[in-house]
Amino acid sequence: MRSNRMGWGLLTPTLVVLAIFGFLPFFYVAYIGFFNWNAFSNQLGMQWAGVNNYRRLVFDPAFLDSMGRTILFAFLAVTTELALGFLLAQTLVKSFPGRAVFRTIYTLPLIMAPIAVGASWRLLTIPGFGPIPYFLDKWFGFDFNLGRYGTQAFITVLVMDIWHWTPFVTLTLLAGLTALPKEPNEQAMVDGANRWQVFRYLTIPMMMPVLLTTIFIRLMDALRIVDEVFMLTSGGPGTATQFIGIHIYRVVVPKTDYGYGSAMSLLVLYFTIVLCWLLFIAMTQVGKQKE
Amino acid sequence: MRVSSRRLFSLLSVLIVLAMVLTACTTVAPAAPAAAPAAGGEAAASADSWWATAAEAAGCKDVTIKGISESTPPSNFSKDVLAPAFEAASGIKVELETTSWDQMYSKAINDMQANTGIYDFVYIEQDIIYSYLANKYLTNISQMLKDNPELASPDFDLAKFTSFIDNFKDANGDVFGVPMEAFIKVYLYRKDLFEDPAVQTAFKEKYGYDLAPATTHQQYQDIADFFTQWGKDNGEELFGSTVQGNTGHSSSFYEFVESIAPSFGVYNWGINQENWKADVANGGEMNSDKAKAALTFWVGLLNDAPPEATSSTWDEVAASFAAGRAAQGWVYGENAAWIATNPEKSKIVGKVGVALPPTAEGVMDDAKSGKGYIGYYDGGAYGLPVSSKNAKCTLLWLQYMGQESVQADWAVAGSRIVMNSTYDDPKVQEVDAKTDNYYTLMKEQGPLFRGAPPFPFHAAVRAVVEPFVWKALTGEMTPSDALDQAAAAANAELVNLGYGK
Repeated sequence: MRSNRMGWGLLTPTLVVLAIFGFLPFFYVAYIGFFNWNAFSNQLGMQWAGVNNYRRLVFDPAFLDSMGRTILFAFLAVTTELALGFLLAQTLVKSFPGRAVFRTIYTLPLIMAPIAVGASWRLLTIPGFGPIPYFLDKWFGFDFNLGRYGTQAFITVLVMDIWHWTPFVTLTLLAGLTALPKEPNEQAMVDGANRWQVFRYLTIPMMMPVLLTTIFIRLMDALRIVDEVFMLTSGGPGTATQFIGIHIYRVVVPKTDYGYGSAMSLLVLYFTIVLCWLLFIAMTQVGKQKE
Repeated sequence: MRVSSRRLFSLLSVLIVLAMVLTACTTVAPAAPAAAPAAGGEAAASADSWWATAAEAAGCKDVTIKGISESTPPSNFSKDVLAPAFEAASGIKVELETTSWDQMYSKAINDMQANTGIYDFVYIEQDIIYSYLANKYLTNISQMLKDNPELASPDFDLAKFTSFIDNFKDANGDVFGVPMEAFIKVYLYRKDLFEDPAVQTAFKEKYGYDLAPATTHQQYQDIADFFTQWGKDNGEELFGSTVQGNTGHSSSFYEFVESIAPSFGVYNWGINQENWKADVANGGEMNSDKAKAALTFWVGLLNDAPPEATSSTWDEVAASFAAGRAAQGWVYGENAAWIATNPEKSKIVGKVGVALPPTAEGVMDDAKSGKGYIGYYDGGAYGLPVSSKNAKCTLLWLQYMGQESVQADWAVAGSRIVMNSTYDDPKVQEVDAKTDNYYTLMKEQGPLFRGAPPFPFHAAVRAVVEPFVWKALTGEMTPSDALDQAAAAANAELVNLGYGK
């Protein structure tokens, strides 16, 4: 009984902070989502809207487009980062000359603030002045213009994200690989398994919890990407890189449509929670299979 | 090997830290103003001036007031020159945050909406005043001066402002913002190129008429095509026209609806102000043939524009022009002075020509009769939010900036004029001569231009229309489809906001 009280006592500061900075804003946003509230409306203040904001969302092509674009981006970014990260982790787990130097330089993007990453890439790619468009034009006659071509902008944002976050995936998987027991691999090799079979039937299953955790973290990050993209393309050209975070920003800040923006935020949060839940189920299944 | 890697790592770490320290230490400081305000400075110099007495009486001594504005030449002048002078004169410290246009609005509106009182004064662009007034964000300055006669400076007189101040008045004629900038978006061209005999000959051979600043859109197009080709033929980074065509920023929307569309005869964004509809079927003009012709013309100019055009806001357009990359363009007048006179920032000092922008048939007559306008008369004021916690101290600061004596230096630094008397100041007249008479043009032809329409829903409708302008610029949609969909989106948003049915 005494230890119970002690436990709750120790937890109290955390719970208070969580309540103030987590639950209160959440409930406030949920509350606002039931109102029409726009500083530019001719009806000042908050007007009760019921679930109308949520109903509008289902038929809002701009919202659905940006949501679809975000999912596509998250899928492409996470799978590429995972593939590259695994490859690099497998390489770095072995000893070779210059490994430590490479690892240090390779992880530098991780310490950069996303806004600085976006700014750096903007300087590299800005049409007319950036070195990348300049050399692409000079060497290959390729017209690289992020302000004009949506596909180029989308791919550039994708590459920027991969450049920024693959080191994180690598480090996480490297930690997992380093912690794996060597005996099962050695036994399999003695039994005649080739390197692919060892990788496919031993390394991957043993790494599954680490892999899923990494996917989980990166997926959440990719779904809420804003700052890097905003700095690089502002969501353009057109709406080519207007991911859901930027779309919500545009609805809530310049347009001051607080009610609709709140409903949008909540729906995206719901979607994210569902994805988390699916991943959690997958992780649990893997755990059960291992048992 | 391990040891050398460690050493290398240490060396890298030291280099990174050094680089960060150097970066922090070499942050570019704002350029010193060309000259301190003369008469204003005289007022400021005396510690026992009227300002010091008034500040003391209002309990403002050593108070810090905070404001926010867009980072523009006029705002930077008020921050770098007027604020220190005011502090010296009154003992009131002014902290003015100059930031990007988007951030400025976002921060100011959030502050006033939440009534937090972070900012004691905010920049009010002419186009947003109607939203601010509708939301009752601003303090009635006329009334406050009447209620506090001891705070009314003898050097501040609302009657001395140009008619631009009318934009910041309510229906009763009370003032809610002290004008700090007003300028027109003019047609700038490279005088040196236009007057080059070889260029003139080549142009006449190709088009059959003399090269001169364009007065029609066809002439503008010809000149743009000509100089783009001229740049290619001569191996120069020269393009035919600037285009404020950022495909992810509101600046492109503004260039289209405030400069290009009016020059084709589409006014007030093409919105019918009787029934708040934008489409042709309901009396609007947003998707009219004239509007579609305007968008087609403007999008077509991208072929003659520098590659950075689709990433350019107003700042980048001015920078591109100042770098000598374009032969002509619609450029905000607040940049005219530095482009024409500041060799540290501009490569084309002494080579800038100023003229009225080209117009379609009948538009000039519309403008002269008051029915329409040929382009954008931009500007802004500093207002005092109701949420300010230092209203009396801020009132003193607003009046300080509204003195006649500080206007000339401000006009020279920022190509802006808000008082009639400023035009006659010798300093302004000297710069006028160097800017191809930009100030005279503004004085004499200013009435042909007009500010944004009085829409309280300004930002909300802009937000739904601008994606279609961006898509037209990228070629994702034809100008015709873009405007048809833009008009439909504007109609829906207006209904959503409670305007029309």
